[in-house]
Amino acid sequence: MKRRLLWKLSGVIVAGSVLLFWLIHILVSKTEQQMSFIDEAHQKTLYDYAARAEQLYMAGDEAGLTDWLQTIRYKEDTWVAVVQPELRTLAGSELSQDFRERFRLGRSIEWKIHLYFKTNPVMDIIFNDGRTHFLITLPQRMRPGTYWQQANLLLQIALPMLLMTIISMVIYRHVMSPLRQLERATQQFSQGDFEVRLRSSLGGRQDEITALADTFDAMAERIGKLIRSQRHLTSDLSHELRTPLTRIELALSWAEQNSPNCEPLQRIREECQQMRQMVEDTLSFAWLESEQPELRTDDLDLTDLVDSIVDNARFEFPSHHIELKLPEHAPLYQSSARALGHAIENIIRNALIHTAIDGSVNVKLSRTAEQYQLDIDDEGPGIAEKYLQAIFKPFFRLGQSSRHHYDGFGVGLSLAKRQVEAVGGRLSAHNLDPKGLRMRIILPAPARD
Amino acid sequence: MSDSDKKARILIVEDDIKLNEQLKQLMHAEGFEVSQSFDGEQGLLMAMRETFDLILLDVALPVKNGYAVLKTLRQSRITPVMMITAHGAEEERITGFRNGADDYLSKPFNLTELLLRIEAILRRSKPEDISRPNLTTLRTGGLEADKNRQQVIFNGKQLTFTPIQFKLLWTLMQHPSQTLSKPTLYRLVLEREFSRYDRSLDMHMSRVRRKLTAAGMPPDSLQTVHGTGYMLR
Repeated sequence: MKRRLLWKLSGVIVAGSVLLFWLIHILVSKTEQQMSFIDEAHQKTLYDYAARAEQLYMAGDEAGLTDWLQTIRYKEDTWVAVVQPELRTLAGSELSQDFRERFRLGRSIEWKIHLYFKTNPVMDIIFNDGRTHFLITLPQRMRPGTYWQQANLLLQIALPMLLMTIISMVIYRHVMSPLRQLERATQQFSQGDFEVRLRSSLGGRQDEITALADTFDAMAERIGKLIRSQRHLTSDLSHELRTPLTRIELALSWAEQNSPNCEPLQRIREECQQMRQMVEDTLSFAWLESEQPELRTDDLDLTDLVDSIVDNARFEFPSHHIELKLPEHAPLYQSSARALGHAIENIIRNALIHTAIDGSVNVKLSRTAEQYQLDIDDEGPGIAEKYLQAIFKPFFRLGQSSRHHYDGFGVGLSLAKRQVEAVGGRLSAHNLDPKGLRMRIILPAPARD
Repeated sequence: MSDSDKKARILIVEDDIKLNEQLKQLMHAEGFEVSQSFDGEQGLLMAMRETFDLILLDVALPVKNGYAVLKTLRQSRITPVMMITAHGAEEERITGFRNGADDYLSKPFNLTELLLRIEAILRRSKPEDISRPNLTTLRTGGLEADKNRQQVIFNGKQLTFTPIQFKLLWTLMQHPSQTLSKPTLYRLVLEREFSRYDRSLDMHMSRVRRKLTAAGMPPDSLQTVHGTGYMLR
């Protein structure tokens, strides 16, 4: 059925409103009915007044009766009388038996009182002789329906408000709870959980919202597949390169043993080293992306880490100068020496590659109250401002026209950024004046003791 | 090979025929006695039937994979095993596929890395050199270390070291003017295997070196032998 949700919602609203009006009507009339009768205790009092009057009348004690009526008048602050009416027919008409029996001067005590009359009715109790009437204006204190006004307000305003609120909440929940699930699923999906599916968690319902869920699931399926296959491709490729690379390295070792100090072999060795680095970085990158592993397990001293990396770099780039400024200690807790070390090593290597021979690279670690700042400055040509973000994308290349050093970045910088972020830090690139590029790593520092 | 009495016997279990062959040639040239196997089942049989000093075991093997081979082998043999994996070093460490291997080497690797690790494993499984007296104090240059008190004195000045830093310095002092490779130092000092991006040793060494330099020791006394390890002159 099309537009199922529409029919469902209008069904609930229409049926709910009709039911509500009907319910209110019934309740109001029932309550009014209930509240229109004189309380039984008051009925008894009135009967007692009449009984005493009858007793005095029957005993012929007229003075006593006068006193008694006076007492009632005084006590109830109302009009009271004992009356014997005379019915005279005119023009030859006759009174029916039925009329005679039912003839009254006021209202019976058991009858309901019309609450919409402001004045109190006269009540009539007939003595046993059938012709003497005890008449009394209903005393104000006995008038029923004292709270009718409030009850009426409650029934006609508060009750419908309450019921409509409940109906709205039911409708809201019915519509919103799957939408919330959709929101959660979208969030999970954006955080990299490509397995998340929505339809099965919505149960047996079948409407516009489940159609949305089906579409979401189809999208998740397709995008998840795409991303996974993309990642697999990268990691499979690097994976497949590992064994042949090992064979090349070993063959190279063999060749080196046979002809040491052969220049072409040294070149092959260097290229091999680079290729290996690229494979390692690509795999680490793919692994970080797909597994999102928990890396923050080490306590370390950043000073020691940077110092040991610079020590290695000085060996690898003997003709460069590395200016190093480190504090005595820079403790870091729940971090990762491997990930950070790998990142810093890649950045320093990058800086050295882009600095001319005999040039210098400055490495400076400092701390403020809340963070460590590690600046790695090179003396290279820098990067056009518009590319300062883009260099952190894997295999980012500047345009074909640019032929200087920075024409390709491989995966090193993107990996470094991921690694720094995985331990709660930030990595950014800035141009230096007059030339050079600064890579800045910011890491949260522990509170000082 | 320092062990001249008897050649160390190595079993290579690797399904890539070319790689297996290359390893055999290179190992052989290094003076090892090498046996080859090309699948897990046959490798396991050979490892059970003969005695080896070390088994190089590839993880991705046909018939029976490296972990399965290792598991069965460990029920009756304690032969040192070095797993060769095609996973990243980091990945391997975190997935924690330990299973009783003595070391992990991830592809790609070069001959130097392989030899240093083999040396570290063989050194450990060999009984300690009995000729070396069990000293409690060592002296090298102006440096003096007391093992019982965990004390280091340089030119009469006392220096403070953490237990690991002390152990590292002590180990280097035990082998003066000898390069100790990283895999060896990891085993002797940190008591675990070395993996490619592990920085612990370098970081401890950097701290030890700075403390010694601050006390007046020439910076080149504690040398980094790049690509290999460290040496104390």
